[in-house]
Amino acid sequence: MRKILAIIIKDAIMRFSGFSELLFFIILPIIFTFLLAGGTPSGDEDARIRLLVVDEAQTALSAQIVSELAASSAVRPEVVSRADAEEQFSQRRASSIFIIPAGLDTASLQEGTAAVDFRQQPNNLNASIAQRAIQTALRRVSSAVSAANTAVSQREEAMPFASDAEKAAYFDQSLELARELQEDTPQRVTVIRAATPDQVEYDPRANSSAGQLITWVFIPLFGISELFAYERATGTLRRLLTTPTRKATYLLGTISGQVLMAIVQMLLLVGFGILVMKLAWGRDPLALAVMLVCSALAAAAIGSAMGAFVKTSGQANGLSIMLGMVMALMGGCWYPIELFPPAIQTFVKVLPTTWAMQGMLDLVLRGGGLVDILPEAGVLLGFAAVFFAVGVWRFRYE
Amino acid sequence: MPSILEVNNLVKKYGDFTAVKGISFDIREGEIFSLLGPNGAGKTTTISMLSTLYDPTDGDAVIAGHSIKKYPMAVRQVIGVVPQDLALYEELTARENLEFWGQMYGLGGKPLASRIDEVLEQIGLTDKAKNRVKTYSGGMKRRVNIGVGLLHKPRLLFMDEPTVGIDPQSRRAILDTVKALNAQGMTVLYTTHYMEEAAELSNRVGIIDHGELIALGTQDELTRQVGQTDTLLLHIGEEEDPEALSTALRGLPGVQNADVSDHTVSIITPSAEDILAAVVAKANERGIKIRSLDIREPNLEAVFLHLTGRALRD
Ligand SMILES: Nc1ncnc2c1ncn2[C@@H]1O[C@H](COP(=O)(O)OP(=O)(O)OP(=O)(O)O)[C@@H](O)[C@H]1O
Ligand SMILES: [Mg+2]
Repeated sequence: MRKILAIIIKDAIMRFSGFSELLFFIILPIIFTFLLAGGTPSGDEDARIRLLVVDEAQTALSAQIVSELAASSAVRPEVVSRADAEEQFSQRRASSIFIIPAGLDTASLQEGTAAVDFRQQPNNLNASIAQRAIQTALRRVSSAVSAANTAVSQREEAMPFASDAEKAAYFDQSLELARELQEDTPQRVTVIRAATPDQVEYDPRANSSAGQLITWVFIPLFGISELFAYERATGTLRRLLTTPTRKATYLLGTISGQVLMAIVQMLLLVGFGILVMKLAWGRDPLALAVMLVCSALAAAAIGSAMGAFVKTSGQANGLSIMLGMVMALMGGCWYPIELFPPAIQTFVKVLPTTWAMQGMLDLVLRGGGLVDILPEAGVLLGFAAVFFAVGVWRFRYE
Repeated sequence: MPSILEVNNLVKKYGDFTAVKGISFDIREGEIFSLLGPNGAGKTTTISMLSTLYDPTDGDAVIAGHSIKKYPMAVRQVIGVVPQDLALYEELTARENLEFWGQMYGLGGKPLASRIDEVLEQIGLTDKAKNRVKTYSGGMKRRVNIGVGLLHKPRLLFMDEPTVGIDPQSRRAILDTVKALNAQGMTVLYTTHYMEEAAELSNRVGIIDHGELIALGTQDELTRQVGQTDTLLLHIGEEEDPEALSTALRGLPGVQNADVSDHTVSIITPSAEDILAAVVAKANERGIKIRSLDIREPNLEAVFLHLTGRALRD
């Protein structure tokens, strides 16, 4: 234990022997987090995304969908003609258009066969957000409709309607009531400034805070490989193995030291997220702790495995930065993963950063708790186990 | 004196290449034993096996009763190692280095702190202990490198070419430190390719070449093998051509061999006195001016030359 502590202290002194490390440890991560969050949107301007809506149905139902969209905090529907919408879309002046077809009725909406038409520019974040908002609006209208339908059939069982007209009136009344009730339902996640439908999974501040945290912590943990290479080059690792110190002690000390430093770094960044960015990192401290530790272990394991293969510390350094950057980008730490083509979205599941990012977003964006992050934490621990095994198995001291 | 180290037929292969070809020797408690050999002879490989870093390909060694193969951890408690290449953390101060390595030897707390003071005193770096090692001169770094190996007062100290590449003053200090440590009872295995160091320090010398121990004994025992030969060293000016002189001298009666290094021609002869006049005459005849000359009685250099036909430093 004393030896492990001695190794940790030695590594900490070495790491923080220059000012530049502080830059990478906390200063740059904070600056990046702040800048990529886009600062704060200015006061009154409508920050919602403009969405062109073509209403070809022109029914009460389609009007409800439009008003549901208008109530969304994510999009600002603008009803236009089809020709106008298509022109704007083809000139790329609109990121997406939403067409409500003529045949849309309650039945098709209920059965999920309603063929609404949504067109989006490729790889456009705003379009993805609009799509989510539309899905939410449709779902809300549809659930209101189903509530009204239930009300009608229950009433019919108790006391049959005198006429179809009476039945229709009762339906409209129930629908109105259902919508009023829905309005009062508290909404779960906040986005940008106001309440938002729970389907929109993007908030620049939350994504920036989580993404930058992962980026700036994974890179130095991959840097464990550099530490191994450095100690091989200076001969200190050889010397260590002529003292009564076991290989396992060295590995445990070196890795746990870097993991501890990573956890301190993450806590500082989480603190910045809570205090300055007003993000809800602290909702479930236990779940957050699990995510932080599992992420750090996965990254440290990859660093250890890399350490067995790199030749020089320069090579290790370059590789750590490159891999860290690529994994952060591909894992959705810089841009939401929803922007990637579907095939890539599947592919990036092989990256630990993807799982770390999703777990962090579960906590800070989707309001999840321990249960929600268990799958991600489990996958990250799996990464850790596999790569630690490789790292220990292929460990070299020269 | 009982042996603290017994080496039995130690072999090390790197792939197809055999770096150490079955060497055997022993070191008695309290002596300084030198392994003398040229570059690539297998000194570092031998020390690496003895210090439990490399597994021997064959053979074994017993240190203070423990087999290096079976009980490496017990061996590591007994030995101190001063590696040929510096093995220090340059970002750390000398004291921080000593603290770290002391803890790796299982020391700690007050005993370690006071031991570090002693060691700093011994290596003459008490004043500079708080400076980072990377700010040190080569000689100072070498001394810290030695200090690390002394912390746990090892019974047996391995020193692998501790004076390579440093100024004469630091070298002197290191040789004196080795003697002082030995006087305090520490047994030392010292490797070098400097004949003078082996001669000055050691009770016994093993000469190693191409992975084989080709001679072993006290300096007297070894030089006696060579027979009664002297070495005559002729130091000439930089502008002169030593090759020409040595070629000319090889023909003289009584000259067994003449060899050049830098601006010195060394002649192996049964008696330096007898050929001296002829050598000087020959040099004059060639117009080569001899600045000074030395006569050396048989030494380890001559032993090596005798055994291998090569100079120790080539
Ligand atoms: N890891 C290795 N792999 C392959 N060959 C090696 C390795 N280490 C040493 N050798 C070779 O083994 C031989 C002995 O090397 P060693 O370092 O033991 O010699 P040495 O006597 O210490 O030389 P020097 O005076 O230069 O330090 C050399 O020919 C060297 O090239
Ligand atoms: Mg060597």
